[in-house]
Amino acid sequence: MRLTLTTLLGVKIDQTVYELIIPTAAGEIAIFPGHEPLVTLAVPGAIAIRYKKTDDDSHLEYFAISGGIVEISQKSVRVLVDRSIYGADIIEAESTAALERAIVLRDNAENQLDLEKAHQLVDRHSVRLKVAELHRRRRHL
Amino acid sequence: MQLVAASKMRRAQEATKASAPYTLAARELLTALSNHTSVAHHPFFVKRTVKTRLLIVIASDKGLAGAYNSNVVKTYIEQLRIDDAAKVKNTTIAVGRKAAQFVARIKDTEVLGVYEDLPDRPDGRELNAILDSARLKFTSGEVDAVDIIYTHFISSINQHARILRVLPAGFKSAIEPGVASDAIYEPSTEEVLDGIAYRLVGAQIFQALLDARASEHSMRMLAMKSATDNASDLADDLTLEMNKARQGAITEELAEISGGVEALNE
Repeated sequence: MRLTLTTLLGVKIDQTVYELIIPTAAGEIAIFPGHEPLVTLAVPGAIAIRYKKTDDDSHLEYFAISGGIVEISQKSVRVLVDRSIYGADIIEAESTAALERAIVLRDNAENQLDLEKAHQLVDRHSVRLKVAELHRRRRHL
Repeated sequence: MQLVAASKMRRAQEATKASAPYTLAARELLTALSNHTSVAHHPFFVKRTVKTRLLIVIASDKGLAGAYNSNVVKTYIEQLRIDDAAKVKNTTIAVGRKAAQFVARIKDTEVLGVYEDLPDRPDGRELNAILDSARLKFTSGEVDAVDIIYTHFISSINQHARILRVLPAGFKSAIEPGVASDAIYEPSTEEVLDGIAYRLVGAQIFQALLDARASEHSMRMLAMKSATDNASDLADDLTLEMNKARQGAITEELAEISGGVEALNE
């Protein structure tokens, strides 16, 4: 099936894949060719892509995504998210430092707006760290 | 400075095309969704009589960009006059230090927010706060329209300041709905519509930011080129003057020496 991952900064992936695992509002779903047509909301998290049926888990590729829309048809999957970053491009040290700063912001938030922003930052950097870890672990499988 | 501006301009120009697939995909999804639910009833698409509007003014943080900031300010003033004549109240969000400095001097408008030092390469995060402010003000009924004043980028030598209405959102059908007609919408068509509408409006604001960035760098590059050309012309003129003066001095000195020699011979 054809996977298209589109972000505000352009098309990140446009190629044939065998499986896509994506976090949605109803939980994580695995999409294979021939899936029922479905349009649903993606939530911030990690997506995993298996390019070929014969690929084992060490060949999975991970991306961190922000929230968005997923449109599934029998032959294609279109993921529309604001931002995405490939696991290999995440610098763990930077994300760890950013997460620590976000936690300080959350703990010191003086109003609801600041608290919401801090929560978003904590979520974003937690997701990035998770994706970086998944990517790192994959190489040792 | 010309070379720096030229390099930034190239990057910014490439970025202006980047969000087009995102907008197209959102429009296709919205077209498909319009067959299942009434898009026009979504809070983002509801049209009301405009009594108060929110203006988002995008200018630059720095000067030396030719008429870039003054064109934006001129368009903004025009809009304030139109509102004044029509007795429409307005609030403003200023993006860029030059816009903030100008808006701070205007008494007729309430300033809702100021955003300075946005990165040279926006990645979408910077628009969240602006989008959320616009969304809250519009859906709560505090404003009846949201407009962006920015510089539309056409080419390196052609940009113009303009106004674009982002809320209420306009719905232009895509040629292809792009979604199977029997598709299931989860959790519900309303929630999916909410997600798409939010992203469509966000993409418009983001595109305006990208266009404004590309226009700023293009105009700065042209301004720096003119400055470099003028400085070069001035240097050429002064070099000519200097050579003339030096030649004159040499000629005069030679004439004096020849005159002295002739006087000695006599």
